[in-house]
Amino acid sequence: MPSKDKVLEEVTRTENIDIDAVLDPAEPDGVFRDSRECAALALQSGGTNLLLSPPTPRPKKG
Amino acid sequence: MEQSSTSALLQGTVLDLASDVVSALRSGDHVRAGSTLTGGGAGEGVARAAVRVLGADTLLPSVLLRVPPEPAQLAVFKDAVAAHPPRDDAAPTVVWSHWAMTRALRRTERALGGPLADEPGTEPDARWLDDASWQFLTHQLAVLAPLALPGEECAVTRVARARPVDVARGFVRAVRRRDWQQAAGAGRWLTLLDGVPDTLGLEAGLDFVRLMGGSDPRVALQLEAARLMPAGVLL
Amino acid sequence: MNVRDASAHDVRVREVEAAALDWVWAHRDRFALGDDALAADGQVNRTWKPLGELTQVCASVSRCTPPGDPLHARASELLDFAWQQTHRGELFALMQSLEPFATYPLEVYAAFASAGLRHPGYEASAAVVARTRGWRLTEQYPTRRLGVLEAERRSGIRPHGGVPQALDRTWLGGLPEPWTFERQAGYALTHVVFHLTDWGRTARGVPAELVDYLLHWLPPWLDTCLDARMYDLSCELLAVAASLPRPCGTAVLEDAWRRVAAAQTPSGAIPEEGAAQDAAGPDPGPDPYDFTDCYHSTLMAAFAAALTTAATAPPPDVRHPAPRTGQHAGQGAPG
Repeated sequence: MPSKDKVLEEVTRTENIDIDAVLDPAEPDGVFRDSRECAALALQSGGTNLLLSPPTPRPKKG
Repeated sequence: MEQSSTSALLQGTVLDLASDVVSALRSGDHVRAGSTLTGGGAGEGVARAAVRVLGADTLLPSVLLRVPPEPAQLAVFKDAVAAHPPRDDAAPTVVWSHWAMTRALRRTERALGGPLADEPGTEPDARWLDDASWQFLTHQLAVLAPLALPGEECAVTRVARARPVDVARGFVRAVRRRDWQQAAGAGRWLTLLDGVPDTLGLEAGLDFVRLMGGSDPRVALQLEAARLMPAGVLL
Repeated sequence: MNVRDASAHDVRVREVEAAALDWVWAHRDRFALGDDALAADGQVNRTWKPLGELTQVCASVSRCTPPGDPLHARASELLDFAWQQTHRGELFALMQSLEPFATYPLEVYAAFASAGLRHPGYEASAAVVARTRGWRLTEQYPTRRLGVLEAERRSGIRPHGGVPQALDRTWLGGLPEPWTFERQAGYALTHVVFHLTDWGRTARGVPAELVDYLLHWLPPWLDTCLDARMYDLSCELLAVAASLPRPCGTAVLEDAWRRVAAAQTPSGAIPEEGAAQDAAGPDPGPDPYDFTDCYHSTLMAAFAAALTTAATAPPPDVRHPAPRTGQHAGQGAPG
């Protein structure tokens, strides 16, 4: 059971709420972000490194 | 401070209430639809205000799925309608959302066979949408998404039916802006309109909005409504 | 068809065009070809690309304006300037010997060819390379492929493939969900329309279902690009709108042109994107942007404005010049 004070507090609070503003909201600003481009793996290297290219074969021990 | 903490409380209650409605629409379980209102979590005044904010969609499970609402839930809904009448100078969306609530209440009570609520007041006019740009039109329709119901007949639905391409453009704009709530509301309207260009890809669009914004129960609510809409018949 | 009264809107569009061309004229030296243009490690995107864009835009402005118009004279002067930069086409022949399999020289050359500035020797040697399987199989974005086909046609070379097949592989050609649009898709689609219409010359080049599609979705694309202050892409979209056989809606165009005009500086420059405006600060001077941050958008504004004023002006109807045949069969290379 809520106390009397609590009820009173809540009534005061509710009256403070501007429900009209919630029911007639302005549009939020748009959020824009485009896909970034990543050079195709293994096709376009930044330098001489080829991503995803097979590792240099190492001589097997034994 | 006082104002903002109260707004946060209201906002939270609206989200809880929207979650209840989403659960009910997904499961057909009307009890869960009312748990925020009947569980005593929120204070009475805040609960009433939250119902006023969510509007007619609070009763959407009853209206779309034909399951009767909890009596306690219905009582809060009635109180919300009575406690928050639009002021004389209220914005059209405020007036229309209240009208939609009185309409939903009357439909529900008629289905229950009980005494009817007062006849809804005279239908407001939709003149504010007469020369509306497609951007403004879509935003306003999304705010008034509770009016997007199969077979609903009012001035706002007539405006929407006359401008399917513009609402589709507004949907594209809302998705581009990542305004998921507007996109979901516009998407719900589009499921009801004839003449929407096929190239819009509405079904994939609604899935995309769910993927991106579906964690917000207000977005999920519109998408559930859109999902049920084609099969839906008004009470 | 499609003749509307010249309105206050058209007057403002023409003002944007005139101011943009003034900026281009004042900065024409920045389009000049330096040693970089021929050097093996030179930046093509800073040499040949701007010159080709200048040429294409001036070719369009010149075509869209009557001979007595000061804007026509300005565009013609700039075309002469650009053609001189190539040593009246000789540099294309030289590029052919340096980079025989590069497609960009032909694409740049095609802009000159469309304005009637041609070099038969270069065309003959480019045709030899264009007959190879290797040329035909060059791996490129589908949109770029379409551009190469059109460049061949404009340069009197038999196109190496069919336009419909190339179109089908583009983003626009597949009629994608319009809400999947973003920057890269936007630039791809504008160029598809530029190639299909010979840069706004023949609205008929756009298949009917693409026309419907574009008329439906250009409004939200324009609106959101302008919201995001992507002026460059917005101007390209405005050029697309003016390249279609039916108008896109006056309110949409007026709103978009108002926003483009608001972004134009007193010098006539239009920034590519909002970031350049932010960098210029709250009190920018009359000419606040680096060349690279505004030359393309300024050119595109002039291009879009020229097509828009031509589309709304009374006859002669520049959208329907002498018929071209077989465009979609990939034949019809002019003689």
